[in-house]
Amino acid sequence: MSLTGGGRTACSCCGAAAVYLQRATGRHFCHTHLAEEVEARARKTMADDGMPGRGSRVAIALSGGKDSTVLLAILHGIARGQRDLDLVAITVDEGIAGYREATLRAADAMAARFGIPHRTASFAELFGETLDHRVEGQESRACSLCGILRRKALLTLAREEGAGCIATGHNLDDEAQSVLMNWLRGDRDRLLRDPGQHADRGFVPRYKPLREITEKEVALYGMGTGLFSPLPECPYRHTALRGEARAMLNAMEHRFPGTMERVVRGQRRLALAAGEAGRAPPGSCTVCGDPCSGPTCQACRVLDGEVFRAARHR
Amino acid sequence: MRVQLPDGTVRTVEAEGIPVEQVLGLLGVNPVEVIVTRNGTVVPEDAMAEREDELRLIRISHGG
Repeated sequence: MSLTGGGRTACSCCGAAAVYLQRATGRHFCHTHLAEEVEARARKTMADDGMPGRGSRVAIALSGGKDSTVLLAILHGIARGQRDLDLVAITVDEGIAGYREATLRAADAMAARFGIPHRTASFAELFGETLDHRVEGQESRACSLCGILRRKALLTLAREEGAGCIATGHNLDDEAQSVLMNWLRGDRDRLLRDPGQHADRGFVPRYKPLREITEKEVALYGMGTGLFSPLPECPYRHTALRGEARAMLNAMEHRFPGTMERVVRGQRRLALAAGEAGRAPPGSCTVCGDPCSGPTCQACRVLDGEVFRAARHR
Repeated sequence: MRVQLPDGTVRTVEAEGIPVEQVLGLLGVNPVEVIVTRNGTVVPEDAMAEREDELRLIRISHGG
């Protein structure tokens, strides 16, 4: 596959053959200028969000998929110019047969390629069983349970590595899907949570440098820089509400370019307007001590089986 | 023109000199969700596709 061939559409920056049409602006980009645009936007987001730079140890949540791989490459590029920016890649093996093996190999290869130390921990090691085993007969709950436990696992790994923050590969599409899902669930707390407020409740702060970059831009960046090859899809993907939200938003984005950006910015304005009133009161989990809004954090409820019992009664 | 879909199946579209986006529309594919190569080269959806061209659609969304 080539990214340098001809076409009748030309890059708005240099006139070379375009690989991408930014539908919201009507601008075309060749690979080189798309890469520059993506990197500049990631740097700006990091600066806007106050992500720690010099003198910091940043844990990159590396799944091995395209988003976290692109994040790894961009942060590696930034770290080359900042010798005291210390990167470590952290990977969680959820235990999903037929899917995770290939992405774990990809994560290993990418961390080695960039010379970044890499730690992996599995659900089986941390929580006593694989995701496959845990959700047997409850497959429709797989994505929400996986998300809760993965956050806990990443937090554990980041603490063990002495990281000052966690960087994740969430892109603009992911963020818009999360907003729509929160509306669909009627989740007031999450809708009013300011995504720019990361460190006010005792967590290792999390940052999303790609949160203003579309999934297609991330994918084209990765293809153009030879970062990855096709990987298998998660077998639980089709059970997720996220899939429905993705399809709805993609359809709207096609008809009304810029929809996803407006959805995310609207939620952020809502959260800023809500201010303190929108934030859940900080507390500590009575089981593990991690910050949470109720007496027990979601991860401990999952591990205790409470979420499973509640799900059976729905 | 010959079009390879993300699942590997191949369709033939009888058209000449139309935008890639229109080809995708005929196949019910949203251009937001795919990267398109034309004769092995990545092109934006407003590039033109000719009768003899070969298009390949690559799905960009993975994960859960």
